[in-house]
Amino acid sequence: MKTLPIEELRELLAAVSRNGNWHLLEIETDLQQTTFLLNEAIEKLSASFMNVYAQLTEQQAVIQSLADTGKLHLDLVQQLQVYQDNIGQEVNKVVTGMQFQDMTNQLLQRTINRVNGLKTLLDELSSHQFPMAAENEHEEIRDFIMQLNQNFDQGSAYLTGHLRKSVNQQDLATGDIDLF
Amino acid sequence: MAKTILTVDDSGSLRQMVAFSLKAAGYDVVQAVDGQDGLNRAKEKTVDLVLTDQNMPVMDGLTLITNLRNLASYQKVPILMLTTESSDEMKAKGKAAGANGWLVKPFDPKRLIEVVQKVIGA
Repeated sequence: MKTLPIEELRELLAAVSRNGNWHLLEIETDLQQTTFLLNEAIEKLSASFMNVYAQLTEQQAVIQSLADTGKLHLDLVQQLQVYQDNIGQEVNKVVTGMQFQDMTNQLLQRTINRVNGLKTLLDELSSHQFPMAAENEHEEIRDFIMQLNQNFDQGSAYLTGHLRKSVNQQDLATGDIDLF
Repeated sequence: MAKTILTVDDSGSLRQMVAFSLKAAGYDVVQAVDGQDGLNRAKEKTVDLVLTDQNMPVMDGLTLITNLRNLASYQKVPILMLTTESSDEMKAKGKAAGANGWLVKPFDPKRLIEVVQKVIGA
């Protein structure tokens, strides 16, 4: 049975490792950039939302003082109350919706950690330097691949164990509440 | 005098939303960025309620609760978890550590305030 020379096999695996690592690095960079842009956007949206709410509160205080001094007709006061209730409901929706950043951030971080773990696993492909006996090449390759496979399994199990999924939400429906 | 709530979360936007909701309901709010920061702030001033996330750097929520329950001043202070974690296993761990309740994110501000009022009053 003819087998690949072990040095050629090593070179092939090192090339796979190099190419894989390059693509994973690109993925990691894009994910980091996405995380940064998402955080920036939410920070600006939150600040604007707080400012809008503060202005609305001030506006409401002015309207209330006008109502208290009888300068507004009753039907206008009632209409303003409807607007205020609607604003309150929309504010609650915004507060709920803004929380998506926390969840997506956790998912992005988990993905980045997995990409880093995959890079480490790929490093395995190029890091082995077993001694080679020319007369025993077939056995050497078999041992080499077995060792590689074992290290891959260990690395993969470690990665899985350290990347437990903590975000299972599929939408922005509000979560359960349990009081003990 | 307004009651004080310590909110612990490593997400700035989440802390902001929690603080916004609680302040609008008339509570004073102290914010902490992780469990260790939360523990330090809790020691500085005993608060009326602790609202903490679970997954945070430096110190997670369950460890924070365990540490707080070891302090004489926090034996009876209500502690609620506010987290993305929703498994029964994690809830059981929270209860065993000393949490009084478990709220799964995202929260609805109206419901959050109802729960807080139920636990510590207005």
